[in-house]
Amino acid sequence: MFDNILNGFSLILAVGPILGIILGVVIGITFGAIPGVSAIMAIAIILPMTFYVDPIIGITMLLAVYKSGIYGGSISAILINTPGAAASFLTAQDGHALTKAGKAGKALNMSLFASITGEMLATLVLILVAAPFSLISLQAGPIEKVFLLLFAFTVIGTMAGESIPRGLLSCCLGMLFAMVGMSSITGASRFTFGYTELMGGFTFTPMLIGILVMPEVFNVIRRRRTPHHEMMITHSPNPADNRISFKEFRRVFGTILKSSGIGTFVGALPGLGSSTAAFIAYGEAKRTSKKPDEYGKGSVEGIAAAESANNAVCGSSLIPMLTLSIPGDDVAALLMGAFLIHGLTPGPMIFFEHTETIYAIFAGFLLTDLFLLGIARAGFKFFVKMASLRRYYIFPCVTVFAFAGAFTAGQNMNDILILILFTIMGYGMRLVGLNPAVFIIGFILTPFLEQNLDQAIAIVGTEYHLFFASPFSWVFIALSAFFVISSMRMRRKAKANIATAAAKRKLA
Amino acid sequence: MDRRKIDVALSTLLIILSVIILTNDNLVEGGAETDLSSMFLPRVVASLIIIFAATIAIQSLIKLSQGTQPEGSEIIITDGFSGIFIYIGIFIAYWLSVPYVGFLVATPFVMFAVAMLLGGRNWVPIIATSIVTPLLIYYGSREFLRVFLPTWSL
Repeated sequence: MFDNILNGFSLILAVGPILGIILGVVIGITFGAIPGVSAIMAIAIILPMTFYVDPIIGITMLLAVYKSGIYGGSISAILINTPGAAASFLTAQDGHALTKAGKAGKALNMSLFASITGEMLATLVLILVAAPFSLISLQAGPIEKVFLLLFAFTVIGTMAGESIPRGLLSCCLGMLFAMVGMSSITGASRFTFGYTELMGGFTFTPMLIGILVMPEVFNVIRRRRTPHHEMMITHSPNPADNRISFKEFRRVFGTILKSSGIGTFVGALPGLGSSTAAFIAYGEAKRTSKKPDEYGKGSVEGIAAAESANNAVCGSSLIPMLTLSIPGDDVAALLMGAFLIHGLTPGPMIFFEHTETIYAIFAGFLLTDLFLLGIARAGFKFFVKMASLRRYYIFPCVTVFAFAGAFTAGQNMNDILILILFTIMGYGMRLVGLNPAVFIIGFILTPFLEQNLDQAIAIVGTEYHLFFASPFSWVFIALSAFFVISSMRMRRKAKANIATAAAKRKLA
Repeated sequence: MDRRKIDVALSTLLIILSVIILTNDNLVEGGAETDLSSMFLPRVVASLIIIFAATIAIQSLIKLSQGTQPEGSEIIITDGFSGIFIYIGIFIAYWLSVPYVGFLVATPFVMFAVAMLLGGRNWVPIIATSIVTPLLIYYGSREFLRVFLPTWSL
């Protein structure tokens, strides 16, 4: 493995990949820092531009956008109390309190250091765990893979949706849309209604941009009358307030390590995501802190906990994707699409079929942290200025990039129609509580399910009891049941908490 | 807007569509014979959609019949929807016009219109951005990505 890692570094240390990383970091921080623009939007817009470059450059660039986009979300959270992503909500609480106290530099630096430490640790876990884990998952045959995919659908649908039926319905709709066009197994055309344009199914990139990116533009348009907030770094006359000393970093290092561990673990589980990781890590850090009262009122430790946990998710969310072909969240689903477009099928075989490429991507993922540190430190003011651009400069550009990106996929104007239709559908889904990310995951995984199901049926013939002969089948059935039950319990508990809080408020 | 009413309408529509998938054999054409028929998985998914859509519809119907007020995510706030309709209109016009007038001609107008919709009134920088951005994207796509965006064809 270490030979592969060294080989990966030798491939990534070339002009193309390095330029890709630098560009990815700059784009990621800028997009992440702009309120209303998320890392996922940046990745979806940049994705079509990577079609025509080497996968090492393209995928590394997308991963750089992902990592730095998550970090970038903390800039607007700290400076104007507007989290660029839901995961930065807790950072906003403590960070903005520090900004108001004239210590924006301290908050931004702590957020950067914690993010990078969390990301690096999770990336190391990814590198060390993914390949050995893929050896185990290689033992799975079509029957086990069918149960694994059913487990993935169940977990993601139940955990990520607003409610369990809505999450699972989102997943089923994604599955149904994936079956439009020519079946890869039988060659039959399904749901095409005589339109030859539908034979190839829905083009992935315009659909992805429509479902995940453009509804965010709709949200900005709806809020167009809310005043614009100018971002500014407040400076304290005391230089110690504008930076993080080594002593301060060492004091919170334990918290960062623990939170990174939590983030890595949560990120590796499908369906939970960075917000959950940040909330769990923050709660745990507060519980064990010597100064729990400071949390929410400008605690440097609080920023360290939330940021290291939500950034650790970046690396570990790729573990299920690369070892089991299961994207854990919306960004992983998007990245899985990018891997597929570049001819790399995520799954255990990737470590054997594309060894050089995957380790070069890992090396690039690790190297991104160093570039993120350097570029973010050097360009705080630049990114703040870029993120302060008024929305009427940013969103016309986003519109045109989305148009060009959708067109680039197939150089076909029909793809623009797909973009428009899925934009409307994506926004409609959000309004009625359906989850677009789960829809995309259902869409991506269905061809794998159908292929494995076909092979599994060919193996078992008419002896259907053989489906349950493998212990893996029972393990995945038990795990699915466990996740559904625990999700139901969690939701019931959350509902009871809300009801209690409302009753208390009424009494008060 | 009460989301529960939309839930009922949408669930009904999904159930009808799923029943069509379950009962209509004309939705698939051609294909080889395999152990797993081409409509097996779509029909399994359609059955699941019926179950989940019915669950959502029943929950909403019960709440509606009890006469409870919608709360939290059950209320859809429609403020600012006019802007969304205008934006969709702009995008459709963009889609229709690009094959004829080309990307370089249509895009500045679209960018300008979206900027105005978002409240932009700084004409000079908005016009400059609307002209420079399409030029950069057009030549960038052509030279680096070998993607040829549509040109004037009238």
